Amino acid sequence: MATIHNEIDNWLAANLHGDLSDAEQDALHAHLVECAGCRRAHQETKSMNKILEETLAQEKPDSAFEQRMLAGFRKRFPHRSGFIKLFVDVMRLHSAQITAVAAVLLGLVQLGRMITSEGVTPVPGRGEYTRAQFAEQRLQAAAPRPAQAGVLARSAEADAGRSQNLALPEPPPPALPAAEAKDKTESIAQAERTIVTGSDIPSAEEVAPKPAETPAPEVANRKLIRNATVELEIVSFDDAVQKITALANEERGYVATTESQKQANGKLRGQVIVKVLPENLDRFLQKIHGLGELKNRTLGTEDVTKAYFDTDARLKNAHVMEQRLIDMLKTKTGKVSDLLQVEKELGRVREEIEKMQGELKYWDSQVQFATVTISLAEKDMEEPAAFLLKERSQLALYAPDVEKIYGDIKALASEKVQITNAQLNRDYSGRISATMSMLIAPEESDSVVSRIKGFGRVENFQTQSERIAQGGTGMSENAKTKRDKVELNITISREEQEQAFQQTSLRIRTSSVDEKAKELGGVVEKQGGRVRNSTFNRDPDGREFANVSIRVPMKNYLALMQSLNALGKVENVSVQRQDRTGTQIDEANAPADVSIQIYSHGNIVSHDSGLLATLRRTLAQSAGAIMWSLRMIGVAIAFLAPWVIALIAIVWIAKRLIRARRKL
Amino acid sequence: MLKRLGCRSTQMDASQREQYQAAIHGDREAFEMIIRTHSRTLFAIAYGILQNREEAEDVVQDALVKAWKTRWRVRDPEKFPAWLATIARHRAHDLLRRRRTIPLPAETIQISETEAIDSPALDQQLHSALATLPELHRAALTLRYFEEMDYRTIENTLGLTNGALRGILGRALASMRKRLRLALTSTD
Repeated sequence: MATIHNEIDNWLAANLHGDLSDAEQDALHAHLVECAGCRRAHQETKSMNKILEETLAQEKPDSAFEQRMLAGFRKRFPHRSGFIKLFVDVMRLHSAQITAVAAVLLGLVQLGRMITSEGVTPVPGRGEYTRAQFAEQRLQAAAPRPAQAGVLARSAEADAGRSQNLALPEPPPPALPAAEAKDKTESIAQAERTIVTGSDIPSAEEVAPKPAETPAPEVANRKLIRNATVELEIVSFDDAVQKITALANEERGYVATTESQKQANGKLRGQVIVKVLPENLDRFLQKIHGLGELKNRTLGTEDVTKAYFDTDARLKNAHVMEQRLIDMLKTKTGKVSDLLQVEKELGRVREEIEKMQGELKYWDSQVQFATVTISLAEKDMEEPAAFLLKERSQLALYAPDVEKIYGDIKALASEKVQITNAQLNRDYSGRISATMSMLIAPEESDSVVSRIKGFGRVENFQTQSERIAQGGTGMSENAKTKRDKVELNITISREEQEQAFQQTSLRIRTSSVDEKAKELGGVVEKQGGRVRNSTFNRDPDGREFANVSIRVPMKNYLALMQSLNALGKVENVSVQRQDRTGTQIDEANAPADVSIQIYSHGNIVSHDSGLLATLRRTLAQSAGAIMWSLRMIGVAIAFLAPWVIALIAIVWIAKRLIRARRKL
Repeated sequence: MLKRLGCRSTQMDASQREQYQAAIHGDREAFEMIIRTHSRTLFAIAYGILQNREEAEDVVQDALVKAWKTRWRVRDPEKFPAWLATIARHRAHDLLRRRRTIPLPAETIQISETEAIDSPALDQQLHSALATLPELHRAALTLRYFEEMDYRTIENTLGLTNGALRGILGRALASMRKRLRLALTSTD
């Protein structure tokens, strides 16, 4: 009950306002019976409530309040007219809103296109547009022909009719009778042609072949020249010629010419021209095919009828002319100069007569006999006649003294050893190399090459030989082979430049580095190698390092490795070998590089380990981290600040505006 | 019991919600319906702040106009009534602030004086007592005594948590009663 007493004000108010449940009411009543103070409060509250009800009832808005509010609202926002209301109602629909947005976007896109003057998308009426344009072009084409004014007028008319038709669908409407439609299209075609050609000349289609009208040629009187060419591959040229002659005789023909050439490889190639009677030509060709393999065949006929009879007619005229001139001379009247003129003319006419007679004779002979040109070639025409063996060698040498060897090789030059190119190079770091090329007579080549090989250490020797076919291609069993001069290219380099055949690296741990390094020098000397490079270091922790790189011939490599064991504990051995395929290497003398690190342990705790060093490093790293994060924060601020400032400014301005409006 | 109540309330809400939604989307009829049903509530709130009928009526009118203009700002239709109430409250506050800064014209003072003379002393005392109450308490009182709203509706309208109104009204009544104790005893 303590709660009711403490919150008696709330309970009393709720009681008066009817907000208490039945149980709560009972509880309150029970408390009021017990507590006098609360009873008094209850009384006071009741009268307070009454006063409030009475007083505030007067202040309550009257019954017309809502109407006034509505009227005020309507006055401020008068009803829209029918159309606008309808529009607003429609726009309230979601679909309408989406459509409107889409339309606006589309409009914007079109506007953008118009502004950027991009090509307008094809419109549906385009077909008609182009057709109209076409009609216009034709009009223009017809225009610059004033000479054919009548035609032009007609074409213009037809064109007008045509362009009217163009508006209609292409095929004429089905309601029209078929015949009428055909007439119409024909007339249109006619009109069109008139326009295009500008005249009434019939088109090619109309003149097209009329085969029935052309008369069949009179074969009997015709002068036809027949000739054929045949290409044959045969085994033996002479045999073939004999057989052809026999065949020609059989067919009452003759061999006109025979011609043959001998190739470098001993094979024969030639041509036989045979004349046969035209009516036997086909049979003759059939027989010839049996002689060998047919490669090519052409058969041609030339009609010289017209030219022949023309010439014949002219010849007759010329004869008449000649006779007249002769008569003139016989009568011997007139001046001498005239007679000379006649004489000259007679000479010219006679010359012409002879020419024409010759022509006719030639044609007669041509017509009398058909010409068969037979090209003959023996088999394996392309077989090579001989082979040339070319040898090319490359030699790479390493020598301690390049210049000396260069001189020695030059001294070898003689008639049979020709030096074509010799070059001695010295680069900026003083390294010397030489390249030489020479041609050696085949019989000398082996001895010269072996002598040159003796001058230095051969790093690489390559020989390449090539058989070149002469007078043909492919293989031949009985062709001879000849050795050509040997071409030798030599490169000479200093030994130092040579790449090691094998590279080894290892570490040797020992207590006295300096001493062992010196000892190593002796060992290398004993194995025929040399020290190329050596360094000695001592680090702050007292560790000593000696790096020694040496080079020994491959044959002594194993012995060296064994003797290294005596120097100290050998560690981390790694061997690397480069396989140079395709080169001939003198493996025993090839250089092997060994790089050795001799080292000793220094102090147990180094300067950069231990507690202090770790602390120092940690401090340094954390300072670095702080600096880094500071930098990042700076970047972030620089990144965000302009936006934040802009935002604050906008908000501030907006607030100011709102406040200003409220004050109004 | 509670569940059933909840059911009924959601059903009621569904139709109400539709109305609010329509009003937000610009349906005049729906908005006019809301004016009919809610303007008295708004008046009560405004009166609670201003304690002047004419001013309160003006405020309600203004608030309705503003609400119609800016209706698109309301995202959740269920919050429409509360939003209306907020607008009315802000308008009333604005007016109150202006009243304080601008001195009242002499005429008004005279009228109020004559009214004061005519009206009984208790009424004046009540008004002055009301004036001392916090604004929220006054709004709650006016909603209760003007519209006789139940507690739940008042809480919803004023945006209070469930059950908070008991304390507010209790304290308001107690405060009033203490101020008017003398007058009360005389009436009794």
